[in-house]
Amino acid sequence: MSSKHLKILLCDDDSDDCYFFSEALDTLPNSTQLTTVHNGEQLMQLLTKETNELPDVLFLDLNMPRKNGFECLLELKLNETLKQLPVIIFSTSFEQEVVNQLHKNGAQYYIRKPTEFSQLQKLIQLALNLMEQENISQPTRENFVLTMENNREN
Amino acid sequence: MVKIKKSDELAIATNKLVLQNEEKEKRAAELIIANKELAFQNEEKEKRAAELIIANKELLFQNEEKEKRAAELIIANKELLFQNEEKEKRAAELIIANKELAFQNEEKEKRAGELIIANKELLAFNYVSSHDLQEPLRKIQTFVTIILDKENQNLSDNGKYNFQRIQQAAGRMQQLIEDLLAFSRISTSEHKFEKTDLNIIIDEVKTELKDTIEEKNAVIEATELCTANIIFFQFRQLMYNMISNALKFSNPGVSPHIIIQSKIVKGDKLNNSKLSPEKNYCHIMVKDNGIGFEPHFSQRIFEVFQKLHGKEEYAGTGIGLAIVKKIVDNHNGIISATSELKNGAVFDIYIPVN
Repeated sequence: MSSKHLKILLCDDDSDDCYFFSEALDTLPNSTQLTTVHNGEQLMQLLTKETNELPDVLFLDLNMPRKNGFECLLELKLNETLKQLPVIIFSTSFEQEVVNQLHKNGAQYYIRKPTEFSQLQKLIQLALNLMEQENISQPTRENFVLTMENNREN
Repeated sequence: MVKIKKSDELAIATNKLVLQNEEKEKRAAELIIANKELAFQNEEKEKRAAELIIANKELLFQNEEKEKRAAELIIANKELLFQNEEKEKRAAELIIANKELAFQNEEKEKRAGELIIANKELLAFNYVSSHDLQEPLRKIQTFVTIILDKENQNLSDNGKYNFQRIQQAAGRMQQLIEDLLAFSRISTSEHKFEKTDLNIIIDEVKTELKDTIEEKNAVIEATELCTANIIFFQFRQLMYNMISNALKFSNPGVSPHIIIQSKIVKGDKLNNSKLSPEKNYCHIMVKDNGIGFEPHFSQRIFEVFQKLHGKEEYAGTGIGLAIVKKIVDNHNGIISATSELKNGAVFDIYIPVN
């Protein structure tokens, strides 16, 4: 099941959310390596440095100062090498127009930051399980948002 | 020779006399003709004189008339002069009144402009504050769940209980923020009216509330529903709030029975001063068999954050009916509630058809 080692990149300006993410990740059985950056500029700098290996998945927050998640997503999808990097949007807002636009712009999944730690653990686990599958293609809009309700089968 | 001369002289003299007499008779005849002529002319002149006298009388009469007309004209002119003065007074007053109106219009436009700005600011403020307020709240909730998970062994029962109370308070605050946001969205969102079959709305709401309906064995009767001209998403929110209230405030041990009806009624058939007698209204009635409320609260229940029970008895922030009323206002309608304690409640909504 979870045999693959995943290199995870997290981009979030909020230190508490970064703490929650890394704490939750630690409790999961998956073999992972987590790198964290705190704003869009750091993110692009890190990813465009040729000496660095690309991560397997990017968890991207939306509301960040100076360069927000939207802008980062657009830049990534315009870059020949970087557009293959699956981007999972990880955010607090939940307006349908925003989510629709993110799906259109090529994000892989959308996760709304939960209020319970156990939910966070489950959602990250779910995302990682999906990332371990071969042939990752962008899901339909119905399957774009990862929630506990529509993924009970996983 | 002298005698012949004298008879010749007599003859000549007589001839002269005859000639002179002939001349005199010619002259006399001419005089007679001239006199006749004169007499005729005199007659004519007397006729002319008589005519002139009549003409003069006529002129005199006309002069008198003209002087009467002149006198009347003088009076009429005085009257016109007076009316002109009055008109100029009115015109001056109108100019002042128009200046006043123009000034008030400017003031109104300033107020309208200020209101638009204030609304935009309010919308931005609401959005930002709800987001910014929710973030530390979410942190509180998440940290509490981490502590309860990880420190489970290290916490006394009392400690765990206290943390749970923190969770509940944070949850209520989150609900409050969400409700405030929903409330402000109702007034600032766009108003697009569409003719809608109310059955569609009721069906969607029933689907959303499926779990609660099953859990409480509730029956929702919505058989006679008409089409109404409404803002779809707002009216769905309205029905959701009303039906969810009816489910929440059911009598313990009694399955909720909710009846929803609607029909078109003309304003004059309804005894309501707020409704126009010539207009047609869609009258929607929502009736339940729940705990009801005392009649003297029938207005207060529509106020923001007004509850009739403590938070321990019934969850909720007290904004549900405030939102319902605001939506009814947006539809230019009215809503009223009738109830008696323990005997359920009836909500009557009247929305203009056009």
